[in-house]
Amino acid sequence: MSNRNPLDYSINKPLVTSLNPLRYLFKDITLVLALITVLVFGLIMLYSSSGQSFSMVMRQSIYVFAGLIMMIFISHLKPDSYKNILMHSYWIGLLLLIYVLFNPAEGYTTSRWIDIGFLQFQPSEIIRLILPLSIVAYLHRKESKIRLEDWLYTTIAALMCSYLVFEQPDLGTSIIVFTSGIIPIYLAGLPYGVIAAYVGMLAIVSPFIWSSLLDYQKQRVLTYFDSNVDPLGDGWNIAQSQTAIGSGGFFGKGYLEGTQSQLNFIPESHSDFIFSVIGEEFGLLGITCLFIVYGMIIWRIFKIGLSAQSPFERLACCSLGFIFLLFILINVSMVIGIIPVVGVPLPLISQGGTSIVVHLLAFGVILSAKRPQL
Amino acid sequence: MRTIQDLRRDEKDIQSLRSRSGVIFFFLLILIISGVFKILQLTVFDRVNYEAESDKNRIINIPIYPARGLITLEDGTLIAENIVTKDLYIKTKLYETSMDQVTQLHDKVFDENRKIDQLQVPMQDEEKIWLARNLSEQELAKYEVQKNSMPNIQLEVKLRRYLPHKNLFSHVIGHLGLINMNERLSLSRVEYPDDSFIGKVGLEKSYEKALRGKAGISLMEVDVYGNKIREINRVSPDKPFNLKLTLDLKLQKIAQEELANRRGAVVALDPTTGFIKALVSSPDYNPNILNGSESGSPISQSSLEDSPFFNRAISGLYPPASTIKPFIGLLGLEEELITESTIVEDKGFFQLKEEGRKYRGWKEDGHGRVDLKKAIVESSDVYFYELASKLTIDRISSFLMRFGFGEISGIDLINESKSILPTRNWKLGNFGEAWFVGDTINIGIGQGYISSTPLQLAVSLSAIANKGKIFQPKLIRNNQLDDYEPDLLMEVQIENPRHWNIIEKSMISVINSWNGTAHNLYEEGGITIAGKTGTAQIKSLTDQDLTVREEYEGIRKDIKNRDHALFASYGPVPDPNLVVVVIVENGESGSAVAAPIAKRLIEQYQININES
Repeated sequence: MSNRNPLDYSINKPLVTSLNPLRYLFKDITLVLALITVLVFGLIMLYSSSGQSFSMVMRQSIYVFAGLIMMIFISHLKPDSYKNILMHSYWIGLLLLIYVLFNPAEGYTTSRWIDIGFLQFQPSEIIRLILPLSIVAYLHRKESKIRLEDWLYTTIAALMCSYLVFEQPDLGTSIIVFTSGIIPIYLAGLPYGVIAAYVGMLAIVSPFIWSSLLDYQKQRVLTYFDSNVDPLGDGWNIAQSQTAIGSGGFFGKGYLEGTQSQLNFIPESHSDFIFSVIGEEFGLLGITCLFIVYGMIIWRIFKIGLSAQSPFERLACCSLGFIFLLFILINVSMVIGIIPVVGVPLPLISQGGTSIVVHLLAFGVILSAKRPQL
Repeated sequence: MRTIQDLRRDEKDIQSLRSRSGVIFFFLLILIISGVFKILQLTVFDRVNYEAESDKNRIINIPIYPARGLITLEDGTLIAENIVTKDLYIKTKLYETSMDQVTQLHDKVFDENRKIDQLQVPMQDEEKIWLARNLSEQELAKYEVQKNSMPNIQLEVKLRRYLPHKNLFSHVIGHLGLINMNERLSLSRVEYPDDSFIGKVGLEKSYEKALRGKAGISLMEVDVYGNKIREINRVSPDKPFNLKLTLDLKLQKIAQEELANRRGAVVALDPTTGFIKALVSSPDYNPNILNGSESGSPISQSSLEDSPFFNRAISGLYPPASTIKPFIGLLGLEEELITESTIVEDKGFFQLKEEGRKYRGWKEDGHGRVDLKKAIVESSDVYFYELASKLTIDRISSFLMRFGFGEISGIDLINESKSILPTRNWKLGNFGEAWFVGDTINIGIGQGYISSTPLQLAVSLSAIANKGKIFQPKLIRNNQLDDYEPDLLMEVQIENPRHWNIIEKSMISVINSWNGTAHNLYEEGGITIAGKTGTAQIKSLTDQDLTVREEYEGIRKDIKNRDHALFASYGPVPDPNLVVVVIVENGESGSAVAAPIAKRLIEQYQININES
């Protein structure tokens, strides 16, 4: 009656985990919580790095929210039901890449952006995730073993996307697009003999490719790797970004107190260079915490992937896990100045609606591979 | 249902996936390790450097310059102030290609009066060409309307030096100018950035340090575009000193008005204190143009060849001419070579020996029997030829030196010339020639090698006015902290103080006696003034041996060959409070041209004193 210990109730209650609505809804609570942590942290940093623009944070929140809804929706679908759509989404991505070359958004020197009125986006951000997913879907479209020509087709598919991005021109991103295409191919078991054949072929044709490149294309490649040429002022940007992270020290200067970011010394501080704002305001401690959460996300991806039932699911998870890790590494390496500047946002944190939505869709695919726990 | 084969295949599949993942991870590990290392380097090992770098980025030191010290008269009348000017300029490199905009500026913006004085070449700085200084309200309003169609023409708002009386005090106050290479060497860039104005002449130069004060510093946080966000710290500037002048506005105005742009100078000082009451050199210039607070030309077209920037009052060297006679007379009395009643027969010339060279007086027929008083009153040359020849140069030089001849007065202005007091050694040193008696004879009437500045003459004369005491001439009465007390510069001690009165009486008679050379100043019941006229010869009879009057007249046709008119005076006797020296170059007659100016000044000064 009234002297009943409230704890007794819980002890006596039967443990029915499958009825836990959160676990049912999210499928992998650790992963989803980690994702939400990073996303919320991203919004907080966006407020600081955007010059305390509340409207920008609101806009981004809408994308985050929509992305999460879509992620949960996809996570409850059976992979077989969308495998075909994934496979054919490649063509949409390819069309967008072609479209952007002919109808780039105005106001940019390069043809990277598509303007569809209410929003602008870079098709290369979409293709980075669509390409590996469609390749995975293609390779595992049937139960049967992957045929030799499939390797060729998928490689060509990756090369085509890569070339179209190169034409924008964006050599850095074109390399990343190609890498994100080749990762699932390799993981799927690309025979080492084929790899050897590729390398051999590359050795033979690369002089021909080089000589068939037009002068401006050659120039583009040379400029990218020539550290003496700094047409975009990347050197200055990197120096400012390093100064921001370095001056943050261990504990950081405090939220909204980063002078490098608040006084606009960091270029693109709300998008590609948001990591240096994190470093400046939260220091090494903040960076480490962020990496731990990112690490948890990647750990969960592989955990889900390696225990998934179908080869398609396993391959999709592992590919996406590597691509996710790769993007983090490339962005951070670029911001701290150990690789050249490429246009890769910090996943789930940098400003940019399309990037976040596409990432969350990919996490939907990953979550859908999770077996329901009984 | 899944078969055993399915499971086996899965097993193999996962195995392959794991090992291939390992390969990829190995490659990524390289990036991870180098990334971790780099982050540690940034945030831990090199942190201090990056902190410094970050501060250097955001903090700039902005010097704060105090407004230049004011210069006023004793009653507070502003003589030099600072005004906010709105100037229009164009970058020099854009000037050639923007003539249409400049024309538009002239047609649509400038006031009528500016158009006239602006037709000349615009003043050139190094980077900017100034099209107009100190825009009027009306011009500013018109500019605001037109400015979008004249994108190359820009507005600058600056604090600039302004003299409300324009030319009146030009030779006292001087002007500022852009700092030059030489000045750069000894001054720090913090105190004087490259576009700073610095005193070039006059009090602006000699009191540059006090007037400028010391710059303060503001530590400002700036963003990447250089926008100031907030002030972090501030070191206030040291306030500059304001200066109070000894000058008298009315006397200054009268002197300027009377000189009327002729070449000449007026120095008036209070012999009891040494305070300068008027110091005017003519022609003058408008310092505001050089200070950048007005546009136009600093000098008038008519004075172009008359060295308007030359300060004749302190730098001009003139033969003292007959104004030296009272000093020579005093020496004669002191040396007992003459007495009050010693008579000399003035037949119009002096000869050392029979058949020797004839030294002519200014009056062809002579003054007849002349005693000391008559010699001063009528300015007999022959009397002083004879006296000088007996005195010898050694005695004359050492005596005049005690009055400040041959010295600078040490007034607080730059460019003061040292007057010339010749000695035997001086001539030997400068001309390599021995001293002749003839040279001494010329000195007796203030000609020959001797020369004075108007200022030095006034200082020397103050010894006679004061019966011996000479006070340091001063332009500054007060610098906010200190009052400038009169400083006794020197005191001329003489054997018989009665001799002062003999000389003074003679100088009074120059005006009061019917035969005085400045009797035109005499007024029944007027102020008693002691004075001496002088006519400094440019082409002298003795120099050229122009014995024929006609030849002399011929030379006089060239204005520049005409004599300088001098008048050295003080009043009122017996308690003189103003010494006035006036020189009008090529003015010919000391009595007609120079003397009336001195009289007006002495009279006006008495009125001023009574008023206050």
